[in-house]
Amino acid sequence: MQKTTGNKMKLGIFVTLSISLFILGIYLIGQRQQLFSSTFQISGIFKDISGLQVGNNVRFSGINVGIIDNIKQITDTTVQVDMLIDENARKFMKKNAKAIIGSDGLMGNKLILIIPGAYGKAELADNDFIETTQPVSMDDILIKIKIASDNAANITENISAITQNIREGKGTIGKLFMDSTMGENVDQALINIKQGAGGFKQNMTAASHNFLLKGYFKNKEKNKKSEK
Amino acid sequence: MSIEIKVKDKVNKEAENNFSENSFVKPLKDFFEEMTLLTKFAFRFFKEVVKPPYEFNEFVKQSYLIGYKSFPLVAITGLIMGLVLTIQSRPTLAQFGAESWLPAMVAVSIVREIGPVITALIFAGKVGSGIGAELASMKVTEQIDAMEVSGINPFKYLVVTRIISATFMLPILVVAANAISLYGAYIGVNIEGNVSFLLFFSQVFEKLSFTDVFPAIIKTFFFGFAVALISCYKGYNSNKGTEGVGKAANSAVVFSSLLIFILDMVAVQLTSLFSK
Repeated sequence: MQKTTGNKMKLGIFVTLSISLFILGIYLIGQRQQLFSSTFQISGIFKDISGLQVGNNVRFSGINVGIIDNIKQITDTTVQVDMLIDENARKFMKKNAKAIIGSDGLMGNKLILIIPGAYGKAELADNDFIETTQPVSMDDILIKIKIASDNAANITENISAITQNIREGKGTIGKLFMDSTMGENVDQALINIKQGAGGFKQNMTAASHNFLLKGYFKNKEKNKKSEK
Repeated sequence: MSIEIKVKDKVNKEAENNFSENSFVKPLKDFFEEMTLLTKFAFRFFKEVVKPPYEFNEFVKQSYLIGYKSFPLVAITGLIMGLVLTIQSRPTLAQFGAESWLPAMVAVSIVREIGPVITALIFAGKVGSGIGAELASMKVTEQIDAMEVSGINPFKYLVVTRIISATFMLPILVVAANAISLYGAYIGVNIEGNVSFLLFFSQVFEKLSFTDVFPAIIKTFFFGFAVALISCYKGYNSNKGTEGVGKAANSAVVFSSLLIFILDMVAVQLTSLFSK
């Protein structure tokens, strides 16, 4: 009899614990979906929701504050997205806040990012419509990448043509690099410049000793000393 | 003349028997016969389950034996299941740089599929064989006949209580196994990484939804019912002496396991149909 009672107790504890675990799990999942917390609803109109689904997160300042409650097509170019937002986040969400569709990482689910509005505006009310910004679609990004890669291909083609000309000694730079006569001429010009500079220095030394210019050079030295 | 006809008839009958014995007809015939008897058995269960008197004490006793006594085995299996799944999944996710998805991915796999199916298979192995062998030995030793003679309804006392217990105990075992598996996954994640308990379970419940949990739990009621129904049927209808006991236990496990996979396939199809 005692054994039977013990077994019943064990069974009762086991069943109670398992059911408690189940209820806890359900509560935690429900809490994530804003089922057990006070919420308010806002909506946004988008042209393209890029695969957003009911149940996706709504994020404000990097914090999950709500979920997508409903998505409905209004016209052929507009889709209304209803969001359930945690009541605690209402005080930070102003009338001029903006909603944009983003994604959770590179491979993650789609979500709505709410960009905070300017300080001093009124809070969003229940069933308000929030301003939206059209997201940059993957197709747009791919088109831009295509244009950039086409430009890069043109640039490299031009660079290739220029280097080819240089190698063949065409143009001034090509001649400078590839033509030996030009190099010799440049060398000779440098020698001439050097010789000219030496001669000029001698002339200036001679001029400084000339009685006509001596006064000018002495005044210059005096000014230098007084400045020091 | 009449002797000639008798001989002809005998030859025809023998030929007929040989044909039915050696071709695919006999196994097919046996299968459908078995299905008919199983369906009759199931109908008898539904008829008896609503009819008083109710064997509540026997139901509690069977729940203890079927549920509580299976818990250690299910718990160990669950822990290893979560741990191994996490360790095996990590390299693949690491290739994509998505190791942070490990808790969510493992949780969805465990809750949706692996937890219910593996637990049901372990349950079929332990409980199914136990029920099959127990009822078969009772049948062989004529204990069931003795019960009938002494005015006790053996079907109600032996079959109904076991089927109800199994139907309600398997979901409870699956919930416990899932929780332990997730703990195993937490250990697995922390073998190579460093994820806090709070962060791990936050990531787990972030990705789980009601459509993951409820269909998975609902199907385990059917798994439990199927295991107990087949095991009771095999045991209750066993014959051929002691040889039949082993055969009943063996076929109870084999058919229960097969039925679990079939029911799982149907459940997955129905879930995906309704979640669209």
